[in-house]
Formats: sequence, structure tokens, C-alpha cells
Amino acid sequence: MIILFISSGLFLGWTLGANDAANVFGSAVGSRMLSFTRAAVIASVFVILGAVVQGSGASDTLGRLGSVNAIGGAFTVALAAGVTVYFMTRAGLPVSTTQAIVGAIVGWNFFTDNAIDTKSLVQIVTTWITGPVLGAVFAYALYHLVRITRKRIKIHLLLYESYIRTGLMIAGAFGAFSLGANNIANVMGVFVPSVSLGDANFGLFTLTGAQQLFFLGGIAIAAGILTYSKKVMQTVGANLLELTSEAAFVVVLSQALVLFIFSSSSLSGLMVRIGLPAIPLVPVSSTQVVVGAVIGIGLYKGVRNINMKVLGSIASGWITTPVAAGLLSFILLFFVKNLFGIDVGHSVSPSVGITGELNVAQIIKYSIIILLVITAIYLVYLLLAEKKKTDSLNKKYY
Amino acid sequence: MSLFTRTTKELTVKIDEFFDTVEIGILIFKEGVKAYVNGDHDAFQNHLTRIDELENKADKLQRSIENDMMVHSILPQQRSEIVKLLWQLDEILDTSKSTLNEFYIEMPHIPHSLAQDFTSLAEVSGNAAEELMPAARAFFREPYAVREKLIKVYFFERETDKAAFQMKKKVFHEMNDLSLAEKAHIRYITHHIESISDTAQDAADLLASMAIRLML
Repeated sequence: MIILFISSGLFLGWTLGANDAANVFGSAVGSRMLSFTRAAVIASVFVILGAVVQGSGASDTLGRLGSVNAIGGAFTVALAAGVTVYFMTRAGLPVSTTQAIVGAIVGWNFFTDNAIDTKSLVQIVTTWITGPVLGAVFAYALYHLVRITRKRIKIHLLLYESYIRTGLMIAGAFGAFSLGANNIANVMGVFVPSVSLGDANFGLFTLTGAQQLFFLGGIAIAAGILTYSKKVMQTVGANLLELTSEAAFVVVLSQALVLFIFSSSSLSGLMVRIGLPAIPLVPVSSTQVVVGAVIGIGLYKGVRNINMKVLGSIASGWITTPVAAGLLSFILLFFVKNLFGIDVGHSVSPSVGITGELNVAQIIKYSIIILLVITAIYLVYLLLAEKKKTDSLNKKYY
Repeated sequence: MSLFTRTTKELTVKIDEFFDTVEIGILIFKEGVKAYVNGDHDAFQNHLTRIDELENKADKLQRSIENDMMVHSILPQQRSEIVKLLWQLDEILDTSKSTLNEFYIEMPHIPHSLAQDFTSLAEVSGNAAEELMPAARAFFREPYAVREKLIKVYFFERETDKAAFQMKKKVFHEMNDLSLAEKAHIRYITHHIESISDTAQDAADLLASMAIRLML
């Protein structure tokens, strides 16, 4: 029965594997630097590892946003997210599993009259913006480092390429691990509060109930990678991201780092120990981080025309995806509860709408951060546009 | 450490060996022309045999490099351009060999007064091709240095054009003792020697664009 209920999560995992593995190995496979079989095997193994070993951090944050306390509700929430992703993808709209599941959970909160933990929500939404920005920053810095190193060591192009190829495999494995660790929350996070499995002792190690769920989710993601990601990887590599091998390496590494940062509880703990604020452990969209990283490389290379349409479509996805998933979740929950009589959850902390530990000062702080980031992006764009104008004038008159 | 290092190192050695072969071939060509013009037939014959061997070796290396790059999917983004570059470098060696063969088969009559002009023409044309080699090697190790190394190729190519023009002018305007057939024959051989630097210039253009693309 449990398997039947978590099937919607497994479907979500399958779509995640089919689509998001391309962000990790797409450019390597598309440019034929790595064979699909090798990439798929590495990605599958490390996605499962990441999900089981480090999946709990981001999942806890989603749990705080809305602890879906009935398996029927968890099934419906995951289904709403999966259906939203499916239809928005078919309609050619930018979509992210992360944003869909958050919207669906908020929909569940409204339906069951549970309080929305605003602090968690703001944390999650802030990460949607900081994720791609951080991806761009990492990519810019790493690309600079790679280029400088290459110039200094004067290594033979073939040898250099073979190191990059090996680097791509290692970074890809790291990326797959981080993808599993960060995005397993989207796939299985909603089931954690409602499905209670006992610890499984394997002699050498013990898997908690949540880890067993993450393992299943990891297998679903791996199945998506093995069965359906080939076409996506080849499309991504050949059409969308025409990157050099070193740029592809930097993009994959940047994405892996960003996803790792937002899923590593050890790293977050370390930050606290050294007196810095804790890193929010939040699921982020790997696709959007990749787009951020590509923009970072573009900025390094002096690309003057940033395609504002791409940025605009990402930003619109931040709103449309959760709203669509939230509405669908609300409607589906209504039918599942009233038509099939399935328990979809109950109110734990009845609210008048929004509660949580967040105070006005914190809301202002987060708003200022978001505004600053948006302003910074806009200023960079203006600067580049101005430079382009000056260059074209110089060309014209001299 | 890289999992692909062995294949890569073997291929690196092959590419270096290919460049060495072409470079030696160009030197042999210059010596061959000098030997023919000076009437040293034994030396000319030796150079002819040697350039033939080198040309065969370069062909084999070129095919082997292409094959390895395809089979092991090495440098997928630059592969087609590298293959084209190797083809053009091999073309230089082919032209050098066929020019010496033409000397051997057609035995053009080179008047004593033209000996120095012929030697100089072969020298500058060969220099254009010779200067291409450091740039081609640099593409693989320091692409930033390719452009500056190509300057000499363009310089020698222009010098070759000038030398060939002067020589043809001299033959047709001043050397009335030669028959029209002899003049046409000399022009034909001159044209062949000139084509070595022309091919070098084409390869230089390709190399320059490859280096820019690699640095982007």
C-alpha cells in the first residue's frame, strides 16, 4: 500500500532523473567527451549515494514548511507537483521540480488549515534567487582560475583535455551526489512525516526510515537517468549549451558546489561553529543554477548581450510554477478527500494564514537581500550594455 | 591522474613526430632544389629518395592521428580543424615532393644566371612553410603565442611572391636567348615552388582562427 502511495513521488523522481541528470553530464555526453553509458552509471550510483547519505538536510526544511501528516496528502502533493512539471514542460514553460513541490506543500497548508512557516518559505524563495547567482559567481571565479592555470603551466592541449575529461567525470560524480542530496527532498521529502519505517540494520551500516525512503527515491531518479536521460543529455550538449570542454567542467563543478552548499548539514554546522550564519538547507533547481553558471562564464568572456528573456523566464517560473502547483494541489486534495474519502492530513497548528518565527525585521532583511541581488544583476547588465554602445561607437568613428 | 593519459601521450608523440617529419621534409626540399640547380645529381637523387620516405611516413602518421582522435573521441570540438590543419601540413610536404619529382622527370634547363634566383626562391618559400611549424606546435602548448609566430609566415609568403615575380619578369623580359618553351617551363616550375608558401599561408590562416577560437 505504501508503494502505491509513494508512486507519485517515485514518478517525480523519475522525471527528475530524466531531466536534471542532463545538467550534470549533458555537456560531456553531448560533446561526446564521455559515453552515455559511463555517464549514466556514474550519475545513478552517486545520485543514490547523495540521497541516502546527505538527503535529510533539505528534506527537513521542506518538512518545516509543511509537515504533510497523512500519506494520502503526501501522495496528492507529490502528484500535484509531478503533474504541474509534466504539463508546464509540455507547454514549453520554464519549470522546476523544486518550485512545484514548494507550491504544492503550500497548497496543502491552505487546504488543511495549517500555518505556513514564513521563515522557511522566505529561506526557500531566497535560495531560488541566490542559487543561480551563486552559480554565476562560482563559475566566473573557477573559469578564471582554470584559464590562468592553463596559461601558466603551458600543458599540451591533448593532455589538458584528458585531465579535463577526468575532471568532468569527477565533477559529474560530485554533481550527481549533490543532486541526489539536494533534490531528494523534492521527491521524497513530503513522505517523510507520514511514512514511518523502522530502522534497517545491514550489519555494516543502518538505514533510518527516512534514508530508506531516500534510497527508493534515489533508485527512481537513477531509473530516470538510465531510461530517459540520453536524449535530453544529447540535446543539452549539442544544442543548448555549446560550451568548450573546460567551460563544461566549470559549469558542472559550480552546479555541484551550489547544490552541495545548500544540502550539507556538516558545512552549515561548520559555519555556525565559526560564528557565521547557518546555510539554509534548501532544495534548489539544478537547471537554474546551471543557467546561472553559464551566464557567469559569459560574463567572464565579455559577452555583452545577456539574454534577458532567459533571466525573465526563470524569474517568471519562480512565481508561475508554485502558484500552479499550489492551486492544483488544493484542488486535488479536495477531490481525494471528498471523493475517495482518503485522509489527506489534519491541522496541527491552526492559523489565520501565516505564522512562524519570522518577525518584521527578518522579512525586511530578506527583502533587502533580494532587492540587492536584483539590483546587482541589473547594474551588471546596464554596464555591459553601455560598454557595447561605446564599443560600437568607437568602431563607427575610428 | 587521468584515465586517458596513455592514449593521449601516444597521440602527443605522434603529432610531434608528424611535425618533425614535415619540418625535415621542407629542409630536404630546399637542399634538393639547391643540389639540382648546382648540378649535384647524386645529392639531388638522395634528397629525392629521402623526401619520398618522409612523405610516406607523414601520410601514415596523419592517418593514424586521425584514426586515434576519432576512435578515442579526443578533442571532439577541435578535431575537424586539427585534421584539416594536418592535411594542409601534409599538403606542403606533398607539394615539396612533387616539385622535386618534376625536377627529376622534366629536367628543366636552369640557366646559370638564374641559379641564385631559384635557390633564393626555394629558400624563402621553404622558410614560409618552416616558420609555420613553431606556430603549429604552439597551438597545442601555448595558443596565445600562435599569432605572433605566424607573422614570419606571412612575411616569407610575400617575399616568395616578390621573388617569383622578379624571376618571371627577368625570364620573359631579359633572357631573350631562351626559347618560349624553356621560359614557360621555368615559369611552371617557379609556380610550383611558389605554391608551397601559398599552402603555408592557407594553413597559417586556419591556425590563426583555430587559436582564437581556443582562447575564447
